[in-house]
Amino acid sequence: MKRLIPMILVAVLAVAYAQGDWTAYTADLLVGGTVKEGVRDGGPLPANCPAPQAKSSYLIGMSQANRAEPWREAMDSQIAAAAKAYPEFEVVFQDAAQDNANQVSDVENLLVQGIDLLIISPNQAAPLNKIVKEAWEDCIPVIVLDRNLVDPNYSMFIGADNVAIGQAAGEYVAKWCADNGRTDCKIAEIRGLTGSPPAQDRGDGFRAGLAAGGLSEANIVFSQDAEWLREKALPAAAAAFQAHPDIDVVYGHNDPMAEGAYIAAGDAGVDLADVLFVGIDALPTPDGGIMSVLEGRLDVTHVYPTGGKQAIEWAHSILVDHVNPPLWLVLPFEQVTADNAQDVCNAYSCPAAK
Amino acid sequence: MQRRRRGWRDALRFVFRFQSYFGLVIVVLLSISFSPSRGGKLIFLNARNLSNVFRDVSETGILAVGMLLVILVAGIDLSVGSVLALAATGSAFLLMRSEWGALPTILVVLLIGLAAGWFNGWVSERFNVPSFVTTLAMLSIARGVARYWSHDIAVPLSYGAGGGDPRFEVLGERIGGLIPVPSLFMFGVAIIVGVVLHYSRFGRYLYAIGGNETASRLSGIRVQRLKVLAFMLCSMLAALAGILHAAQLNQGSPNDGVTYELNAIAAVVIGGGSLFGGKGTVAGAVVGAFILGVLDNMLSLNNVSSNIQLVVKGLLIVGAVALQQFRLRSVE
Repeated sequence: MKRLIPMILVAVLAVAYAQGDWTAYTADLLVGGTVKEGVRDGGPLPANCPAPQAKSSYLIGMSQANRAEPWREAMDSQIAAAAKAYPEFEVVFQDAAQDNANQVSDVENLLVQGIDLLIISPNQAAPLNKIVKEAWEDCIPVIVLDRNLVDPNYSMFIGADNVAIGQAAGEYVAKWCADNGRTDCKIAEIRGLTGSPPAQDRGDGFRAGLAAGGLSEANIVFSQDAEWLREKALPAAAAAFQAHPDIDVVYGHNDPMAEGAYIAAGDAGVDLADVLFVGIDALPTPDGGIMSVLEGRLDVTHVYPTGGKQAIEWAHSILVDHVNPPLWLVLPFEQVTADNAQDVCNAYSCPAAK
Repeated sequence: MQRRRRGWRDALRFVFRFQSYFGLVIVVLLSISFSPSRGGKLIFLNARNLSNVFRDVSETGILAVGMLLVILVAGIDLSVGSVLALAATGSAFLLMRSEWGALPTILVVLLIGLAAGWFNGWVSERFNVPSFVTTLAMLSIARGVARYWSHDIAVPLSYGAGGGDPRFEVLGERIGGLIPVPSLFMFGVAIIVGVVLHYSRFGRYLYAIGGNETASRLSGIRVQRLKVLAFMLCSMLAALAGILHAAQLNQGSPNDGVTYELNAIAAVVIGGGSLFGGKGTVAGAVVGAFILGVLDNMLSLNNVSSNIQLVVKGLLIVGAVALQQFRLRSVE
């Protein structure tokens, strides 16, 4: 026993030493999110890297896949807004305009500028794996947003769970059908771009949600790809209402497509109050989903969080407080209906915020 | 008076002759003076940054050399971006799904490029269709085939156990961490095509056809055959760029390479090539690609928005063409 105590002490010290200066995250840092993969033993950087030094100013590089998408634009502005809370942070933004090769050079350019931390929302995973690994092995903390990379050569990944959101949408639809006595509920699904992971996840989750609520895939009488675009959703939904004039529910994989379907339903002479329109994303922009719910076009949508604010807060935790973050943080999402739309609008400062 | 005017003209002619080189010097000087600095050192001149520029320019440079061949005979190839995407997707598919070795993959992909170019040239020449129409069709066809082949999803590349032939990976690497392999290919291609254009009968004939097609035909040059050959080489080089693209990005994506044809055409034009045919050099095309690349780098290092970068690139192209027209009227 006498020999055991010093041995335990040595072991504890060794573990503490191996962890460097990093302290593990606490539950309150997660603000409602859930951890999918816990901390890395050696801290958020490779084993040979020291914890970041204290500085009077930090340069943070943000590599965005494509600023032309409203949701990604919102991510950038949430990052910029969150960074205002930390005067020592300066954030530089790069936009790859949906081109993988561009994004690789964007990250290269950020690295030669000497950034202290990299935030990246990848256009696609495989092309960026190598350059992100280089940055991370160069002892630069990397926070990956929204789309995960192939290998976890980064400090942490922050993203939302599309399957869970789709499932919530499916459960809502099933409950609505039951509550409104639509025993033979007919559902039209306007899908996101075929082959893109969010379209797959939002579709699969939705089906799981329907099943949980007592409906089945057979209730989906129409399902077509509209590539995330309102302009493509309009003709697709028009075809849906031609083929099935008695559609009860339209589920759009994003709000613009649900809005396109809303317009098509109006054109087809359908009683709009009789159909449930469901969307996802709920952007706090003038043409975003929160406003659509407030103005009564969409019945329900779901906040698909960008993680911009969380990325900056974790950047501060890593750089300044030396917190060892979870490897994979799943962000919480919110359902937006007529009941809570004003509150959500206020929380995200949408144009009609009071 | 007369002599002074001639002196002025000679000077102007000299500047015009080396227009693109002066352009590059100016852009580099601007990049140096506007470069942000870190620790008292200019970031632009950082070895790693220059290496990035070379890597970034390689694909455009290779595309531009191919494009030059077509532009010399007064044609245009709008399909190189799509052929690049098809080649990148094809490489990844053959390596990963069909588990071919690096060499057969590269050969077959280059053959696909040759076939696309043959189609472009043959339809243009045989049916007298303007090449911008034929290659616009190929722009659509090649991308369609690439998407169909890959089911719309990018094919990721991995190497080693269970992955593709690791010799392919070398194509995307940097020697000594600084010299990008793709840029070696670019310089290799430029030297070979430059020598061929300068010293071979094929090269002289291309210039002759671009200068005056009828006269070339009447003097016994097999115009049709040579023009088809120019299109084939152009598409083959686009396929080569696609192979390097896949190796660098570790995937073959059917949606990559959009608007790359515009960069290639811009590089040729900025480098002094004439869209009316008969004028332009390989060195000019490569220098044009470097002007675009250095400009991109300078604007990115200063965090200028990518929208502004597009505007600057557009203005540069207009300026280069306007300068050429001015040169035609005033000097020659």
